[in-house]
Amino acid sequence: MTTKTGKMGATSPRAPRKSAGTVKWARRLEVGREVLRNPLTVIGLSIIFLFLLMAIFAPLLAEPNQPDPYQSPRDWSNIDSPPGIAGHVLGTDSTGGDVLYGIIWGSRLSLQLSVTVVLFTLVFGTIVGSIAAMKGGRIDNLLMRIVDVFLSIPELIFALAIAAVLGPAFSNIILALAAVFWVKYARIIRGEIIKVKQAEYVAAAKVVGDSSWNIYRKDVLPNAATPLIVQATLDMGNVVLIGATLSFIGLAQAGLTEWGALVSAGQSGLLAGEWWVSTFAGLAIVLWALAFNLVGDGLRDVLDPKTEGR
Amino acid sequence: MSQDWLLKVEDLSVRFQSRGGDAHAVEGVNFEIQPGETLALVGETGCGKSVTARSILRLVPEPPGKYVAGSIKLNVRGKGVVDILSATTKEVMAIRGERISMIFQDPGKALNPALTVGSQLAEVFGQHRLEMILAAAGIDPSKASRAEKRIAKQRASFVQTRIFALTRKKKAETLQKAIDNAVARSLADTGIPNPKKIMKSYPHELSGGMKQRVMIAQALACDPDLLIADEPTTALDVTIQARILELIQDMQKRRGMAVLYITHDLSIVREFADNIAVMYAGHIVETGPAKEVLANPQHPYTSGLLGAIPHRRTPRGELAAIPGSVPQLINPPTQCHFASRCPWAASACKTMAPALHTIQENRKVACFRFDSAEDLLIENAGMPTPAKLAGGN
Amino acid sequence: MQVRDYLLRRLALLPVIMLGVSVIVFTLTRFTGSPVGIYATPNMTPEEIAALEARYLLDQPIPLQYAAWIGGLFRGDLGWSGVSVAPVTEVIGLKFAATLELAIAAGLIAVLAGVALGTVAGVRRNKAPDHGARMFSILGASTPTFWFGLLLLVPFYLWLDWFPLGRSTPEIFSSIAHPTGMYTLDALIALSPGAFLDAIRHLILPAVVLAFGAMAIIVRMMRSSMVEAMSEEYVDAARAKGLPNKVVIRRHARRNALLPTTTVIGLSFGFLLQGAVAVELIFRWPGLGQWVTSAVLSGDQATIMAYVLITALIFMTVNLAVDVAYAYLDRRVVLGE
Repeated sequence: MTTKTGKMGATSPRAPRKSAGTVKWARRLEVGREVLRNPLTVIGLSIIFLFLLMAIFAPLLAEPNQPDPYQSPRDWSNIDSPPGIAGHVLGTDSTGGDVLYGIIWGSRLSLQLSVTVVLFTLVFGTIVGSIAAMKGGRIDNLLMRIVDVFLSIPELIFALAIAAVLGPAFSNIILALAAVFWVKYARIIRGEIIKVKQAEYVAAAKVVGDSSWNIYRKDVLPNAATPLIVQATLDMGNVVLIGATLSFIGLAQAGLTEWGALVSAGQSGLLAGEWWVSTFAGLAIVLWALAFNLVGDGLRDVLDPKTEGR
Repeated sequence: MSQDWLLKVEDLSVRFQSRGGDAHAVEGVNFEIQPGETLALVGETGCGKSVTARSILRLVPEPPGKYVAGSIKLNVRGKGVVDILSATTKEVMAIRGERISMIFQDPGKALNPALTVGSQLAEVFGQHRLEMILAAAGIDPSKASRAEKRIAKQRASFVQTRIFALTRKKKAETLQKAIDNAVARSLADTGIPNPKKIMKSYPHELSGGMKQRVMIAQALACDPDLLIADEPTTALDVTIQARILELIQDMQKRRGMAVLYITHDLSIVREFADNIAVMYAGHIVETGPAKEVLANPQHPYTSGLLGAIPHRRTPRGELAAIPGSVPQLINPPTQCHFASRCPWAASACKTMAPALHTIQENRKVACFRFDSAEDLLIENAGMPTPAKLAGGN
Repeated sequence: MQVRDYLLRRLALLPVIMLGVSVIVFTLTRFTGSPVGIYATPNMTPEEIAALEARYLLDQPIPLQYAAWIGGLFRGDLGWSGVSVAPVTEVIGLKFAATLELAIAAGLIAVLAGVALGTVAGVRRNKAPDHGARMFSILGASTPTFWFGLLLLVPFYLWLDWFPLGRSTPEIFSSIAHPTGMYTLDALIALSPGAFLDAIRHLILPAVVLAFGAMAIIVRMMRSSMVEAMSEEYVDAARAKGLPNKVVIRRHARRNALLPTTTVIGLSFGFLLQGAVAVELIFRWPGLGQWVTSAVLSGDQATIMAYVLITALIFMTVNLAVDVAYAYLDRRVVLGE
């Protein structure tokens, strides 16, 4: 038998409910430490950190081109040169654009793209999903049918259609991805709310007089935070992957220092043996996506161990 | 010491690797099972009885487990003695399901949900009685084709079975019939009504009691010498528990089979066991005929266990639980593991590990109280002696 | 019985969702500069264009336009494909068959190899094959398909010249009839080993590249469900019956682990459809993906819209088929356990 541990105020019906709140920070530290125990996650975080530095300090790392830093400066005397020649560490493409420059400034674009899209979709999707689940009934039905429709079109294809209609521009890629990616979050938060709704302690809380908003804040959000955060982390990588594919196909403006566009620019050179443009640009994409996948997986392992067969 | 024993476990030690060190799940366990005997291995959760049971069939996964020492000898009639722990994989596979069988705690989990119960039962026949099945289907075992053997063993792929059924319709039918008959007979033996229908059912379509019967049928299909029943009634309704246990007893009598019950339910021991072995923290602490041990426990743990069972004469409000908890088993110190909870512990108990001593014919106890005071240099002369305890608790 | 109900319920949902998709596609068409561009063929006179505009109610309010557009759809008028210089409906069948062939080949590779790898990883958990499989999975999920395709193109096409680009060698291709539109099948039907070999040679590299991403997901799912299955009691019970280890793994553990993996197979088909866009572009495979990339670059709205519609339809159908298969296989789900 165990000894009884009494909690101060826990039995008094008038006392404020102690849910996730007060132990949140202690738990977060614990989680953080657990996450860092996984070497792969640490590698992922380091790569992300390096990319962050690269993006922030781009102007220092590579002299910004005028008037548009997102167009590589053309070194017409050194086109198609392999890495290491004439100060071009990673070589140049068929218009003399420096590959390293493209990668550095491209990291800014990737950061812009992923942060904008993920932030927007996370917030928007959560709002929509919450409304659907809280209101229930016909609104829920309607919103979920819309989600179903969005989900029936594969992401890339949907974004492709939208970006094509809006015209080739990087900002349109951002818009297109934002329009497509929000549905996952709506589903996640809706699922969590329904789960909590069915839990008994919510009925108990309602009897005590807790408002819906309070329940939402204290019970739903902390539980939902996990899958939402994991999804957001993974999407930071996915967004750049799909965005790069769209620019590869040609939906960004010409000559943009976007990684996908760079790979495309290097395509013709490939068959002539000039491998460096496509390879390095592609590597940047892989590293970015890999880093966020590693971190997302690491988070998932720690926060929701049942999804991973450890 | 008769040589008619069926199973002899000698000095068995099993450990599990973990992050903090090795957990000594089973230490120096010795016991014997005679043909036809019913032995109950008793103890609380985590005492090592399940690991012991699984070791008999060498089912402990090796990592993280390892068989550190000891032997488990099986006396196979007509073939001599085999040490299961050092036998080849082939020998062990031949023993499993054929000489020694096991039934598990939760029949819902121990049956494969994706296969019909008939198919799972047929596997046993296919593995151990292949010639018999083939012969019953009119196929000469020495000339049987690979396809025929695979079908009998329930290992043919979907495509293979269909092709065989189409190209050799007659043979496929007689083969299936032979398999079905063997399975149906097995099921009927355990009193399952309508075996032909049950055979085609999936586990989730059956009730708990029915599933357990199926498991028993499966275990007894090849007439084993020993049945290990790991908590066979824990997952069942009280009303069905008795029926299942009676069924096992009935089958036991009919076939002269020995049964090893792994349980923490002392009522099973009382009703069905000939002998009992009590385990605590990986060691056997007491053995003897069930009735005697239950009436007159000698080891402090056993008496504590029996004192903890409420019965009519227990005064209201008093539930004597054994204070403290089971010690941690990782790199345990050399001492009696029960010492911290034992009302009669002496200083010697905390420094040395007691071995199983025979205190009477058939009765063994692992406790220092049964050594002479001089051997142990005990100051406390007030320690109770066996004679004082003989009158019961 | 329940399987049928489930199937009917899902089938009933399909038109509703397709309706929603059509609304989205329609909305997109109204974003373009001139909606009539979908139907206009080059060299049309102003009167013909005006007639088109009247026909499709382009001066009427939006809901009526939608009705007219849907009406056109049902009449088989999906517009004029600028890149193919033909009505959409004429070319879409062939393109669809080409992409289907590629997707099926990639799907087969992904499933067979993925299940095998995932099984080994799950059985030898935390050992070398497991680590390898997990690394493979995560790389597969992080590598852009278009880049991977380019990466393989250089050694296999450029240096070794083992696998040619495109779908076929024209002379061999035209030597046989094409009833199904799928080169490999047509070659088998025509009993022409030369054509079959030609088809396979062209198919293999794009199929492998396409399979990579899908395989990553399948391996990961298979691994985790194998790990779970191996820890179930019926695996121990099967061993206790004296069955050999291989049989225990294959017949008991894997059979149950395959179940949750089937749901992932449906999902990965979406990846195949998406990946096909880049793969077809790089390997010059004449399917829907290549079709739409050309359309994107030339502003051919009709092609893009038709592409979205047909892809959504395929994706939904495949998901439905997979869900029904799952419901049929997992009797516990169906019978509500």
